[in-house]
Amino acid sequence: MSLVPLLDAQQAPLPAQEFYADGDPGPIVAALAHVPEVLEVTLPFLGVVLGPSALSLRTKEIVILRTSAVLACRYCVDTHTVAARDADLSVDEVRALRGEAEVAGAFPDPADRSLIGWVDAVALGPGTPPPEVAAAVSASVGEAALVELTLLTATTLLLNRFATSLGLPTSPETLRRLGEEGWR
Amino acid sequence: MSVAERIGPAIDAGRMSGRVWLYTNYHCNLACSYCLTSSAPKVDPRLLEPAAALRLAEEAADLGFRELGITGGEPFLLTWLPELLVDLAALLPVTVLSNGTLFTPKLVERLRALADLPVAIQISLDRPDPVANDAMRGPENFARVLAALPRLVEAGITVRLATTVELEEIGPGKTPEQERLCALHRSVGIGDDDHVIRPIVRRGRAATGGMGVPATRDDLEPELTVTADGAFWSPFAPTVTAGRLDTELLLTRTVVPLAKPASTRLRLFEGRPPGHDTTLGIR
Ligand code: SF4
Repeated sequence: MSLVPLLDAQQAPLPAQEFYADGDPGPIVAALAHVPEVLEVTLPFLGVVLGPSALSLRTKEIVILRTSAVLACRYCVDTHTVAARDADLSVDEVRALRGEAEVAGAFPDPADRSLIGWVDAVALGPGTPPPEVAAAVSASVGEAALVELTLLTATTLLLNRFATSLGLPTSPETLRRLGEEGWR
Repeated sequence: MSVAERIGPAIDAGRMSGRVWLYTNYHCNLACSYCLTSSAPKVDPRLLEPAAALRLAEEAADLGFRELGITGGEPFLLTWLPELLVDLAALLPVTVLSNGTLFTPKLVERLRALADLPVAIQISLDRPDPVANDAMRGPENFARVLAALPRLVEAGITVRLATTVELEEIGPGKTPEQERLCALHRSVGIGDDDHVIRPIVRRGRAATGGMGVPATRDDLEPELTVTADGAFWSPFAPTVTAGRLDTELLLTRTVVPLAKPASTRLRLFEGRPPGHDTTLGIR
């Protein structure tokens, strides 16, 4: 149960209405719509950080799902379990990212493991990630990619805490997919 | 170009109203059947504190707005209102809306300072008969308003009258009932130019009761309106329906600096199709 009412298209403030033009924009928008001036700048930001970019979709879903699992965000884990499968991550990979199986077994590529190690260190904190973890990820990605996936982890943390604290509901479509694919 | 540099030309070109409305409170001693804000004595007052109202008025003047409107709820329930009106009127001309039931001789004495200031009090009176009027607005409303009008006029305060009726009752000419109402306001020294007749808008308690004319954004004259809950498109926008604030005409939650909602308002107005605000007369 959401802690705040999720605004539908009829209740959406004027500056928020464009985000409802293609139908239900989902609970993050419907909650942010309470403060339209924040929504107006947050959505384009999220679109750039989470949307298509120089990082591969697979890499982005690894980062988002892993961060969400570490933070135990039910809403984001549900949503990105489905998104990760759509990004061609295998069932075993998704299970490992969700913390339900060993990462080493599901991800034989050391570059993937260094990425997941980096995400875990950034997400869990506190303080600066251990130097050996930073060295490992730096050896497998370039500087711009490191900046981007670190920001992606941090942005996912933001969304994790937002969605979890406000109790945002998983969408019916996501719940249907999770049921059909045996995740629930 | 700064917001202040855009506001003056927008007002001059008729693309922006020069008036900023402040909702000082949402509670009221009455509970009218068509009340947009579903006001009543015990509702959440949603107070705009006097210091906040004054600061907003200062910003409005700095930005180039030319008038203030004060509304509620019933603003005269606020003990600090007379002094606040004096302070506001030093910045911009003020129109304050009231149900007209609280103007005891003692309160009118406190209001005498307004006689020399650009302040008008706009009082609601809907029917020329106590039975018909009080059915919508509550017992004794007619009698109290009729007692208040001459008191305020004699104190030298500018008084206007607002009549709110169903849209079907507003035509090119006046109905016999409206003629009697006009005779009544003329008899206490309020001229025809100081009497507005406007339709009930189907929002708030009017919507719950199936009264009034539906009004969307394009039916409402855009006038920047600030409440304790944020800034809105029009004074008809921050309504309360079944206890919840209506948000579909919300501009921003940020009200200070006022330039923030003002710039959102300018941006949205620029993309606004021609509307019906003039034809419906919802202003
Ligand atoms: S319409 Fe005006 S007088 Fe009547 S309840 Fe609402 S705020 Fe009070």
